[in-house]
Amino acid sequence: MPSQYDTLEKAILSGDQESGIAEAVKLIEGGQDPVLLFTDCIEPLLDDIGEKFSRLEIFLPEMVNASKVVKGIHGAVKPYLKNEEDAASKGKIIIATVSGDLHDIGKNIVKAMLEVNGYDVQDLGVDVPTQAIVKQAKEFDADIIALSALMLPSLPFVKDVVEYMEGNQKVKVIVGGGPVSPEWAEEAGTDGYGNNAIDAVALVKDILSS
Amino acid sequence: MKHTTRLLDIVERSLRGPLMDEEDFNDQHVTQGLARVVKEFDIKVSQDQIVNQDDALADRVWEAAVDFLSECGVYCQTTNRVIEFSKKEIIDILRYAPDTVIVGQGTDAVQEYARKIDDPRRPLLMGSSIGTPIEDEYFIPSMISYIQEPEVDVTMAPTLTNIYGYDIRTRSPLEILSSWREVELTLEAMRRAGRPGMAFTGIGSSISDVGQLSADGPGGLRQTDLHTFGIVSELKTSYEILNKLTHILQRDGVVDPYANPIYGGLGGGMDGQAVLITAAMIALNVVFMATCVGTSPTHPFNFNDTGKELLIPSGLSFQAIARNSKLMSNLTNTPVGGPGTKTLLYECIALTVMMTVSGGSRILGPRSATGSITGHFSGLEARFTGELLTAAAKLDRAKAEEIVQKAYAKYEADLTTQPYGKHFKDVYDLKTVQPTKEWQTMYDEVKNEAAGWGLSFD
Repeated sequence: MPSQYDTLEKAILSGDQESGIAEAVKLIEGGQDPVLLFTDCIEPLLDDIGEKFSRLEIFLPEMVNASKVVKGIHGAVKPYLKNEEDAASKGKIIIATVSGDLHDIGKNIVKAMLEVNGYDVQDLGVDVPTQAIVKQAKEFDADIIALSALMLPSLPFVKDVVEYMEGNQKVKVIVGGGPVSPEWAEEAGTDGYGNNAIDAVALVKDILSS
Repeated sequence: MKHTTRLLDIVERSLRGPLMDEEDFNDQHVTQGLARVVKEFDIKVSQDQIVNQDDALADRVWEAAVDFLSECGVYCQTTNRVIEFSKKEIIDILRYAPDTVIVGQGTDAVQEYARKIDDPRRPLLMGSSIGTPIEDEYFIPSMISYIQEPEVDVTMAPTLTNIYGYDIRTRSPLEILSSWREVELTLEAMRRAGRPGMAFTGIGSSISDVGQLSADGPGGLRQTDLHTFGIVSELKTSYEILNKLTHILQRDGVVDPYANPIYGGLGGGMDGQAVLITAAMIALNVVFMATCVGTSPTHPFNFNDTGKELLIPSGLSFQAIARNSKLMSNLTNTPVGGPGTKTLLYECIALTVMMTVSGGSRILGPRSATGSITGHFSGLEARFTGELLTAAAKLDRAKAEEIVQKAYAKYEADLTTQPYGKHFKDVYDLKTVQPTKEWQTMYDEVKNEAAGWGLSFD
């Protein structure tokens, strides 16, 4: 990575939002093309962070903090972007743990991995009623609904979401979690299954590129 | 009824503690809190040595965990408040923790007790798949495969994949029916195996308070059984969880909860994980009035706890507890290997030996094939675990480390390939409820190999 990005890279890796934003703005005001700032520095860096987490060389807090810095930078550099250039998101995703299930760390890991891979993710939390997921997916104009279900008695709620979304050609429903298998996901009518956060990112890339 | 005053105190704290956004709790209280104590107490965990040999490090982990918990608290998702306890309160409460309990009935009753490092007394074995899904037709024979083993002290049911042909749906009549069905089938399996008074842990099939509590009473889970519930990772609760606790206390039951920190999550790597596991088990007693405190820390991608990144902090945490408290601690063995693989048996050796010399009171499992593959478990791996407990209780930490490293080298490469093995019906004769020749031979071979490493099965 070119050396002019050293300070920015350091700020993102250390989760220092203030320095990250200040450095990004400084670079742009010094003549740096804002689009190139993302394509040459931020996106490769986030890819690298995601890779490192998948090998557990870094951990969830570092990944979340890096993602927060990038979100902040994106907001700060918006005024410098032309409208057609303001398209940093690769896709919009609603993520939730389904009704009856309070587990959130698995979901949070998937969310952080998706964010560092450039997706715009709205997290609805845990124990989310089916109708709230469906309603929010429509309001957010989501491309994908990603559902987490760690407990067997929560799985029927995944089927409910699939049923609600039947006929909606745009929104795909994907699922992951302990008791879910590829066979179950297919039988339930979902559009895909991720065994873990790494799988989930690959699945989302696959769905949104096809 | 016991602990009414404490229960009301917890409820009071959940209503009066500081209001906080959950994300801020995760970041400021858990992640930053752990980073602080890891630095302040100089927690530097070995990257290679699996069985900790350093008592001073174990003591620092304990001190760090108490300090961390006193600053962090436990988050109540229902009220969005932090249930706080000062360091002095934590230490005072731990002073009154029980150090022994009898579970089960009649001649099937067993005594659990707090253990110390290198304690020559054998820990208890909860022989079970621990809620792994199973088809109705295999429920009873698979449970008998555990209960019939003399090495198994207490048990727990697998989880039904459906109830009378219906998907089990939480907070519905179907969940209540499945809770009752789980108890009925478990009692029947224990009766058929000739150990009707054996304690069992419940209720595994249900997750809601109403589902669990419906079958915890006359005709269902007995007072002498183990009454379990999980708290939410990391260090979170809700009124649904406290409702379960309240009911168990009203029944004067054995409170047997668990906390399962996620490796690489809010606690970060091994240093933070050692502190977090310890703090979570302390919280189970301080906030949830646990008789016995349990954990099953989990790998975020492989969903096991038999990799070095979890064996090392788990062992250290159990040593911290054994050296500094009288808590009865238990660890769930969640291997990647399933029945019909040697991987599973080598994983059993590593985790069981590590936990035994580190002062754990009870081991749970094995939850074979990560507990997520329908029917991939059998009683033979529980028999092996029980034999390992007896053999490992004769070891000291230095010898244990040598054996654990040998076992680990045998399965390390399999942790990512995850050989889930075979379904119960393919490794046991369903009529005799005995292992197939192939599975039995594998067990014999690994047991002989382990004996050669210094485990005495006499």
